[in-house]
Amino acid sequence: MTLTRLFYLLGIAISLSLAWIFFPGPLTEAGLSLPSTVKWVPSLDDTEDFCQFEHPEWRQAQSIEGVEIEEDPQCKPDNPYLVASVVKGTDKVSMPTLMKTRLAMDAVVKENDRDGDGDPDVIHIKLEVAELNGSTPDGDFLIPGYRIAPGLTPGMWVFVPKMRGMATVDAVNLDANPMLRAPSPPIRVEQGDTIYLTLENSHYFPHTIHLHGVDHPYLRADGQGNDGVPVTSEKMLMPGERRTYEITPRRPGAMLYHCHVQTDKHMLMGLQGLFIVEENRPDNWLQTFNIGAGKVRHRSAASRQRFDQEYDLHFQSLDKERYLPIQAHNDPRLVARAMNREYDITDSDEDFFLLNGESFPYTLRDSLIVVEPEQKVLLQVANGHPHTLGLHLHGHKTTAIAADGVPLESPVTRDVQALAPAQRLTLVLDTHDDGLHSFGEGAWLMHDHAEKSVTSDGIGPGGDIGLVIYRKYLGEDGFPKLQGMDLVPFFNRWFYRKQVPVWARSDEWAIFSDAAPLPPNTIRVVIAGLLLGLALGLLVALWRDGRKGR
Amino acid sequence: MKIPSIVFLSILLLPAWSFAGHRMDMDSMVMNENPMTLPEGCQRISGDQKITVHAGRKHAKKFPGLVFAYDRQSWDVAPCTRLTVRFVNDDDIRHQFMVHGLPEKIYPQGMFTIEVSGPGEETASFILPPYKKTYLVHCDIAQHTEHGMKAQIKVAGGDRDLASLPGLTKAVRPDRYPTDWTAGSIVSLLLALVAGVVLVWGGRRLLKAMGE
Ligand SMILES: [Cu+2]
Ligand SMILES: [Cu+2]
Repeated sequence: MTLTRLFYLLGIAISLSLAWIFFPGPLTEAGLSLPSTVKWVPSLDDTEDFCQFEHPEWRQAQSIEGVEIEEDPQCKPDNPYLVASVVKGTDKVSMPTLMKTRLAMDAVVKENDRDGDGDPDVIHIKLEVAELNGSTPDGDFLIPGYRIAPGLTPGMWVFVPKMRGMATVDAVNLDANPMLRAPSPPIRVEQGDTIYLTLENSHYFPHTIHLHGVDHPYLRADGQGNDGVPVTSEKMLMPGERRTYEITPRRPGAMLYHCHVQTDKHMLMGLQGLFIVEENRPDNWLQTFNIGAGKVRHRSAASRQRFDQEYDLHFQSLDKERYLPIQAHNDPRLVARAMNREYDITDSDEDFFLLNGESFPYTLRDSLIVVEPEQKVLLQVANGHPHTLGLHLHGHKTTAIAADGVPLESPVTRDVQALAPAQRLTLVLDTHDDGLHSFGEGAWLMHDHAEKSVTSDGIGPGGDIGLVIYRKYLGEDGFPKLQGMDLVPFFNRWFYRKQVPVWARSDEWAIFSDAAPLPPNTIRVVIAGLLLGLALGLLVALWRDGRKGR
Repeated sequence: MKIPSIVFLSILLLPAWSFAGHRMDMDSMVMNENPMTLPEGCQRISGDQKITVHAGRKHAKKFPGLVFAYDRQSWDVAPCTRLTVRFVNDDDIRHQFMVHGLPEKIYPQGMFTIEVSGPGEETASFILPPYKKTYLVHCDIAQHTEHGMKAQIKVAGGDRDLASLPGLTKAVRPDRYPTDWTAGSIVSLLLALVAGVVLVWGGRRLLKAMGE
């Protein structure tokens, strides 16, 4: 009796082991003919238009309420009404103009021409803090939504000019409205002006503003802290509170502003922006905010005098592990624990790389540097990456004329300009075709030559790739006329989520796309089936035997 | 000839603005105010109701895990009421009292909004439709609704309760917290275990009794 049982058990064990061996695995060896190629066919729903913009009239040069606004011919130019509002002041511009923006009426207030040179010298600027792509207790979606590239919605924090109305586009479209975006906008003030920079902490975490490199006293006139550092000069600014920083910067130059609370998280979540002090000149009305960075459509007097154009280039990167807490949890206690104690920057690496708040291919819509031959173009570059930025332009060698706002005694002409983390370089892009500064007209690539930066989470081309594009290479709709590979995959929401073969639309797609999966080997299927059946039969027999025995 | 241009200029330069239910100045903004026009289905204004709503950080302190809130999360209103809202902002930042789902014919995008730019208050009124319905009230500043600034107005008892109203209703997507095995939960587990054993024994005895 016991012996029979032992045989049954042995039989079951042997047939199960053999079935284990013969059962087809996840990979199947090919036979005589290899599997066919799966052709990738993008669905129209998942693919965005290269350029779709509802205000093409915003591209042309125009004058709004006496404010001259330069042409910006690319697909998505800045809102000229917003430019006019921040030049004149949000309280001085007419209501119809202000209503075409989402600016609060007290966002930028300019007054008191102290030196009588025709421009205001006391400037009140108000900033709020906004979260992009945060979680919600109301369902499985992120709000307000902000894509850095098709299908990519990393969590971010940004400083934004004080707004009014909804954070989203409207009650139906839960994407962030166009003003609510990365990077934290470049701020321009005039040398010698008195600036009252107010932070209204509309976010659920504490923050501050540190005016990095900007001439500012350690304490305000009333003895309150003015350096933005919670360890030394002041308390953190809590949710619902406001604080005003007071400065009268004596030297011009390209500086930074950033949050100084837990900088390895807050600054790298996006709370960092360019802060440019312009030379004091008569009648110098400045564009206080440059939303989305990129082209400055109303330049300072000094810039207009010496250059043909000016652009702000803000590079920054994002880490999936760092922003995950704001998408996984809603309760700030859970977010604080996950971000401040479980996340460890020393064990992590950056995943997404942004030029002016977006990654390629969105950079083709609104971060182009559009030039004509024989121009001198001023570039204000900030390195917000936690790594050294090797800024490389194809077809050009730029000349660095200032670093961290200090003029260089001997300007440096290079095709890779190195910027340490938080460093700013003021570069001149000279488009004279002389074989040194420019090699002639084209649609020339511009990117960080730290190669991970030209990917989005390892998928390339992505990251902080931009273009220096000569006017004749720009299409009617402001989108580049390119003659390289098909851009459709890059505008598909699955491409950067690693679902699309990267050469899926090349002429020889049949060589590089995914091979079709193979059916399992029939002999193996039959043997494995037989063995499993045998084991099952033996099991039933064993059970019946046992019952009879009792 | 001089007077009209002065009037025109003063309209342009006036630091306040008002047009078709919208008004705005440095301190506040009201959109789609409607003290007069009757929503479809209302014969007349059935009555006037006034509420004072406070908004700010301090009103969230009684709700663990929330950051901003109103001092109240639900209001009952009779059909065709003219509701006058006195909205008081107790913080140093912006907050809004924004109502959604109103008839779009008289309320563009279905919304009525009071926004107060900082510490201060603003009052405005609107007329509610006649139907039994629950209206969302929230502050649409990025992540304020998500962190507690959410409420509802129920007309004629409302047709439902909205989710994640502080202290009133559960979230659609609640957070998850570490599990803590208290003495009580261990005792419950042991009691349930004993009950399971008793159930089997009792069952067997019952079956036996029935067999006999
Ligand atoms: Cu911060
Ligand atoms: Cu609010």
